[in-house]
Amino acid sequence: MLQQYSEQAGGQKIEIHSSNHSFALWRLLLYATADFPAWGDPNSPANSYLSPHYIQKSIEETGVPNLVTSVLADYRGFDTMFETAVVFCAGLACFLLLRNFKQKEENFYRHIPTGVIIQFKKGDKTLPVGKEFEHIDTEWIPYDLIIKTVCRILIPFIQLYALYVVAHGDFSPGGGFQGGVIFGSSLMLYAIAYNLRTLVQRVKEKLLGLFCAIGVLIYAGIGVVCMALGGNFLDYGKLSQILPVDPGHIRAYGMLGVEIGVGITVMAAMVIIYVNIVSIGRHDEGL
Amino acid sequence: MDILAIFFLVTGLIFFTGGAIGIIRMPDFYSRLHPAGKLDTLGIFAMVLGLIFYSLHHFSMDTLISILKMLLIVFFVFLSSPTATHSIVDAGMRAGLRHWTKKKRR
Repeated sequence: MLQQYSEQAGGQKIEIHSSNHSFALWRLLLYATADFPAWGDPNSPANSYLSPHYIQKSIEETGVPNLVTSVLADYRGFDTMFETAVVFCAGLACFLLLRNFKQKEENFYRHIPTGVIIQFKKGDKTLPVGKEFEHIDTEWIPYDLIIKTVCRILIPFIQLYALYVVAHGDFSPGGGFQGGVIFGSSLMLYAIAYNLRTLVQRVKEKLLGLFCAIGVLIYAGIGVVCMALGGNFLDYGKLSQILPVDPGHIRAYGMLGVEIGVGITVMAAMVIIYVNIVSIGRHDEGL
Repeated sequence: MDILAIFFLVTGLIFFTGGAIGIIRMPDFYSRLHPAGKLDTLGIFAMVLGLIFYSLHHFSMDTLISILKMLLIVFFVFLSSPTATHSIVDAGMRAGLRHWTKKKRR
């Protein structure tokens, strides 16, 4: 992947150097894999005590029926925290690379009752539009009544389902990542059924950026709270000192909080990536 | 009950098979979407009807709830699948794709 990219990007000389470097790196990594235990080796550390421990002790140690969630959010909570941070960075990178704040030279306004389209060249963008006019794109197409209506019916259900997936992650398949993606896709459906400008007006860019960061903050914050209460980082058991719930389920509640953080970050990052890519950073027209 | 269940499952299967063959065999974009839309609605409906009859063996609150869930699946598929087909056809028309005729070989 790295090699291909360097071949496309650079001139000849750079290309040779970088491909040599990446080849050397590749060989180093491949050499290092020789130290790994063989695939499916029964004596490897993962198979000899780690997996059996997870499988046998998961319920009594964490009180969460879903083994996958307990491994993801509790035993390997630190790993998942940085996965969330990676999602945050992806959203941030998309924003930093693509966002274009330059105003467009031309603006089009459509008079809704008559369908007359007015073009403004180099004018200020703020026509005192009431409900009569709407700001449209060059590639404007008429709204489709069927798609709009069906999306209006479906979007609340999709969002409800997303919340269910987040909240039910410790009992059934699901969790923050999946729920966040479903929620984000409902917002994308909104952008597709109406247009991008409607979505951007409804869900402000700043709000999305804020949500993206808040999710990671919730995750890390729960970890720090656990530390402040005298445990390790992300040691949810210590939360029972401040939460009035059954101590047997306290780890499930800690995981739920973490999953909510993950869900918020993933949702916001998905929408940021979508909005920036389809409009090439302009946030006005697009799919 | 079993007979009804088998009957509806087989009906759904026939619809799905026909739809799958249609997607492959139809000559152009628009006519391929036709079986795709058909099989998502009637095929799923017949299949779920068969499953409902199958689950009616033991009638209790649990089966009632699962039947309700299955009917919800049908409801949402009925809403979303024709809409998706409609929007794809719409996009094809706007992109200027001509429909297939007998004279013009594809």
